[in-house]
Amino acid sequence: MTTIAADAHGHAHDHHDADHKPAFFARWFMSTNHKDIGTLYLIFAIIAGIIGGGISGLMRAELAQPGIQYLQTWAQMMEGPDADITKAYHLWNVLITAHGLIMVFFMVMPAIIGGFGNWFVPIMIGAPDMAFPRMNNISFWLLIPAFLLLLGSTFVPGGAGNGAGTGWTVYAPLSTSGSPGPAVDMAILSLHLAGASSILGAINFITTIFNMRAPGMTLHKMPLFVWSVLVTAFLLLLALPVLAAAITMLLTDRNFGTVFYDGLKGGDPELYQHLFWFFGHPEVYIMILPGFGIVSQIVSTFSRKPVFGYLGMAYAMVAIGVVGFVVWAHHMYTTGMSVNVKMYFTAATMVIAVPTGVKIFSWIATMWGGSLSFKTPMVWALGFIFMFTVGGVTGVVLANGGVDDVMHDTYYVVAHFHYVLSLGAVFSLFAGFYYWFPKMTGRMYSEVLGQLHFWIFFIGVNVLFFPMHFLGLSGMPRRYPDYPEAFAYWNKIASHGYEIMSVGVLIWFVNIIWSLTAGRKAEGNPWGDGATTLEWTLSSPPPYHQFETLPVIEDSAHH
Amino acid sequence: MNIVKSLLAAGLLALVPAVAITQQAIAQDAAAPVAAPAESAAVPADSAANAAAPAAETVAAPERMKPTPGIGMPQPGEYKIQEQFSPTGRQALWMHNNLLLPVITVISLFVLGLMLFIMVRFRRAANPNPSKTSHNTLIEIIWTVVPVLILVVIAVPSISLIAEQYKPAPKDALTVKITGYQWYWGYEFPDQGIPEYVSNILPPEKALENGEPNLLAVDNRLVLPVGRPIKLIITGADVIHSFAVPALWFKLDAVPGRLNERAIMIEKPGVYYGQCSELCGIKHGFMPIAIEARPEAEWEQWVRSQGGDPKGKAGAAAATTAAAPAPAAPAKI
Amino acid sequence: MAQSAVAAFDSPVQAKIRRTAIMALSIALGAFGLGFASVPLYRYFCQVTGFGGTTQRAEADTGVKPVPGKTMSVRFDSNVASGMPWQFRPEHTTQTVQIGARSFTTFIAKNMSDKPITGSAVFNVTPTQSGAYFTKIQCFCFTEQTLQPGQEVRMPVIYYVDPKILDDPDNKDTQQITLSYTFNPVEPSEKRS
Repeated sequence: MTTIAADAHGHAHDHHDADHKPAFFARWFMSTNHKDIGTLYLIFAIIAGIIGGGISGLMRAELAQPGIQYLQTWAQMMEGPDADITKAYHLWNVLITAHGLIMVFFMVMPAIIGGFGNWFVPIMIGAPDMAFPRMNNISFWLLIPAFLLLLGSTFVPGGAGNGAGTGWTVYAPLSTSGSPGPAVDMAILSLHLAGASSILGAINFITTIFNMRAPGMTLHKMPLFVWSVLVTAFLLLLALPVLAAAITMLLTDRNFGTVFYDGLKGGDPELYQHLFWFFGHPEVYIMILPGFGIVSQIVSTFSRKPVFGYLGMAYAMVAIGVVGFVVWAHHMYTTGMSVNVKMYFTAATMVIAVPTGVKIFSWIATMWGGSLSFKTPMVWALGFIFMFTVGGVTGVVLANGGVDDVMHDTYYVVAHFHYVLSLGAVFSLFAGFYYWFPKMTGRMYSEVLGQLHFWIFFIGVNVLFFPMHFLGLSGMPRRYPDYPEAFAYWNKIASHGYEIMSVGVLIWFVNIIWSLTAGRKAEGNPWGDGATTLEWTLSSPPPYHQFETLPVIEDSAHH
Repeated sequence: MNIVKSLLAAGLLALVPAVAITQQAIAQDAAAPVAAPAESAAVPADSAANAAAPAAETVAAPERMKPTPGIGMPQPGEYKIQEQFSPTGRQALWMHNNLLLPVITVISLFVLGLMLFIMVRFRRAANPNPSKTSHNTLIEIIWTVVPVLILVVIAVPSISLIAEQYKPAPKDALTVKITGYQWYWGYEFPDQGIPEYVSNILPPEKALENGEPNLLAVDNRLVLPVGRPIKLIITGADVIHSFAVPALWFKLDAVPGRLNERAIMIEKPGVYYGQCSELCGIKHGFMPIAIEARPEAEWEQWVRSQGGDPKGKAGAAAATTAAAPAPAAPAKI
Repeated sequence: MAQSAVAAFDSPVQAKIRRTAIMALSIALGAFGLGFASVPLYRYFCQVTGFGGTTQRAEADTGVKPVPGKTMSVRFDSNVASGMPWQFRPEHTTQTVQIGARSFTTFIAKNMSDKPITGSAVFNVTPTQSGAYFTKIQCFCFTEQTLQPGQEVRMPVIYYVDPKILDDPDNKDTQQITLSYTFNPVEPSEKRS
C-alpha cells in the first residue's frame, strides 16, 4: 500500500478557527459535521443495542428451561392482568421480531456505517466533510422516528396481542391477513424510514468517495475501510429500494385490498420472500463488509505491516457484493422451489466462500512476518477472524440445499448467523470502537478493562451460541417459546452464556465511563508506525473542521 | 359468464360417458367433507388413540404405537443430527457427517492453528522488525484455487443429493395430502377414501400418560406404511407453515394457494416426531407432527379401521380414458 | 456547513459531485421501480417457464398430436379457502391419460350456504418442473363462478400434457402430475368478518 504523508500544515494552521464549534443545540440537533453525526449514530446504536440486547436477555431467560416461566407475567405487565397464554405467545413473537429488527436496522447498520463510516470515511480520504452534510443530518434524524415507530408498535394491537409478531422477515400472509391491527403497519413504516435514511446515507458516501478524495488518493490507494463502505453503499443503493417496494406492497395488501402476496387471490406469497431476500442477503453483507474493512485496518496497524494483497482484498469485497445479489433464494430452500433452481442457488452460494476465504487468508498473511502487539482492538480483530471463520464454514454447510432441509429454520441457522453477525459484525464493531476511541474522544480507554471485556464477552458469546449448533442439529426449530425436555440441556447452557456475555458488556460500559472521565489523554497517533491512514495524522480528537487545506498523498516506493 | 355457451356445453356434457363412477366411489365422495374444517370446532373429541375414528366396517385400529426413546425424536443433550430412517436421509446424513463436518472442522482448526502460530511466532517480542511483504502471487493463487477445489468436491455429492430428494414418486406411490392450519395439521388419504382428519397437540399430562415427549405428542398421528414410496402433497390453509420431520430429513413449506410435493420412503416402523418450521402465529411452537410408520399389513388394518380401502379406488383410473373428447363447461345437475 | 465542505473543491468538481449524486439517486429509484416491476415480471417468468408449477394455457385447436403408448397419470386435488362455505372436489382423484391427447375431467362444487357466493380458483401443478408441459384448453379457473344457495355444479377441465415433456430430462422420472385448485371467495360474504 502507500504510506501517507499529510500536509503537516494543512490541519495545524489557524487551529482556533478550525475548532470553532456551534452551541449545544445547534451542534447536536442541527449538526452537519460528519464527526458529530457519527457520534450521534454511535450513541443511537448503543441505546438501540441495549434495548435489542435486553430483549434477547428476556428470550434467553424464558428459554433457560422448558415450560413457560415468565412470558405470561410479562404479557400481563404489558397488557393488563387478564392477559392470557395466547397473549404470552404473541409477546414471544413480538420479542423475536423486535430483537431482529432492532439489531439489524438500529444497532449494527447505524453503528458500522452511520457511526464509523461517517467518522472516518471523510478523514481517511482526506476530505473536509461528507459531500452533503445536511442530507447527512437528515439521514440520522430519520432514524429517530423510525425507531420510535418500531418501539411504539409494541403498544398497539397486532393480532392476538399488542405488537408486530411476524418475525423480522415479515413474511406474507402472516404479516397481511394473519396480523390485523396497526402494529405491523407501524413496523413497516419504521422500515421505510430506516431504509430511506440508509439510502440517503449511501448516496452521500458514494458521492463523497468518488469525488472528494484528496490529491493523490486514487481509488487503489484508499484504505480498505473506505473500500468496504463504498461497496456497502452500492449494496444499500440496490437492495434497500427493493425492500421498500416489497414492504410497500405489504402495506397496500394490508390496507388497500391489493393481492400482491395473497396466494388465494392470484398473488404469490413466495414473491414476497424473493423480494425480501433479494434485499435480505445483500443486507447481511451490508452488515459485515464494513467490519471486514475495520479488521483490515486494525490487523495492518498492530502487525506494523501493510495489508497483504491489498487489491485482492478490495476486489474480494466487490466480488462478495456482486455474488451476494444472486444467491438470495438459499433462504428459501424449503419453499418447494424446483430442483434446478435449488441446484443453482446451492452452487452460487458456495461461490461466495472463495472471496471470503481470500479475505481470511489475506488477514493471516498480513500478520505473517509482522510484529504483533495484542492491544485491545487487535484481540477483538483476531477474535473476529476466527469466529467469522466458524460462522462462515457453517454457512458452507447450509449452502447445500439438500443438507439444509434438516437444518432450515432450526437453531443451526440461528447459530450460523449469530456467529457471523453477533460474533462477526459485533466483534468488528468493538474492535473499531477500541481502535478509534482515542481518536474520537481524545482519551485512551483502559487497556485492562478492554482486555477483560474481550475475554468475558468472547467466552460468553461462545457459550451462548455454540450450543445452538447442537440444538439445531438435533432439530430444535427457531422462534419457539417452549421446547421438548430433550432440548433443555443446551438451552440452559446457552442462557448461562448470555449471563457471561452481559457481564462483558457491563465492563465495556464501565470502561467507557472511566475512560471519558479519567482516561489518559491520547496523542494524535497512539498506535505507532503501523497506523498509516490519515486519521492518525490529525490530533485526537481531530479539529472540528479538518483538512481545510487538502492533504497530499505521496506514492510510496513499495507498491 | 357466457350462458348460451354453458347451456350448449351442458347438453354435450350429458352425452359424456362419465357414468363409470362406481357405487363405492359415490359413497366415498359423499362422505368426504369440505377440505377445510373451518374452525377449531372441527377438532375431534380428545382421543388418545386413533380408534375413536368413525369406522364403517368394524375393523379395530392397531394398538397405538409406543415411541422408542431416542428414535425419531431429539435426545437430551444431543449434539448431532437425529438417526435417519429414509434413504435420502441416510444419504444426506452421510454427506454431513463424513464430508461437510470434517471439512469445516479441518478448515476451522487450520485457521485457528495458523493464527495461534502467528500470534506466538510473530509477537512483537519475538519479531521486533516486521517484514514489508505485501504480495505473493503464488500463495494468492493457491488460496483461491484450493477453496474452489474443496467446493467442487462438496458440490458434486450435494447436487446429486438434491436430485435424489427431488426424484418424483412413482405413480403407484401412496399419496397423502397434508394441510397446515393455524395451529394444527390435517391429513387426508385421497386414494384410500380416508377423509381429512386433524392432528392436534396433546396436553402435557396426556403426553406423559402415553409415554410420549411433551410438545411432540399429538392425538391423531399420520399413519404411514414402511418400505414403500409415499408422495406427500402439502398445502397451507391460512398462512405458511412448514411440515418437518428431522428423522426423515424432511421439511417442506405448506403455502396457501399452492401445492408442494415431495416423495419419501420410511425404512423402519416407528414414531417419528417433527415440529412446524415456519413462523405461523402465536401457536407456531404448538402444532407438532407425529408420523407412525407401520408394516404394510398393520397399515392396511389401520386404513380399514378408518373406513378406508387400502388398495384405493379401483374405479378412478378406469373411468378416465373414455372421457377425453368432449368439450364442456359448467353444467347444472 | 453544507457549502464549506464542498467549497474546498473547485467548480468542475462540484459539478461532478452533483452528477454522481444524481446517478446514485437514479440507481436507487431504478431499484425501487424494479421492486414493483418484479410483480408482472415474476408472473410473466412463471407463465413462460412454468416456474413454481404454473400451468400453460392454449386455444382449442392446438395441433398437438397424441403420442402412442406414452401415458401420464394425473391427480386432482381440491381446496377451499378457510371460511368459504363450498364443497369442492374432483370427480375422480386420478386419471391416466395419453400424452398429447386432449383429456377431460370434472370437478364438483356445491354452495353449502344460504347465500349466492362467487368464487375463483387458483391452481398449480406438481412436480413444479411439469408446469411448463401441463396445458389447459378450458378450465373453470379461467373465470369466476357464482353458485346459488345449495347449488351444485360440475365443472370441466380440458387439458393435455405436452409431448415435449418426454424430451425434458428434468421430467424423465415424472410419472404423475398433480393438478391442485383452491377456491376462494371473490366478494367476502357478510358472515366473514
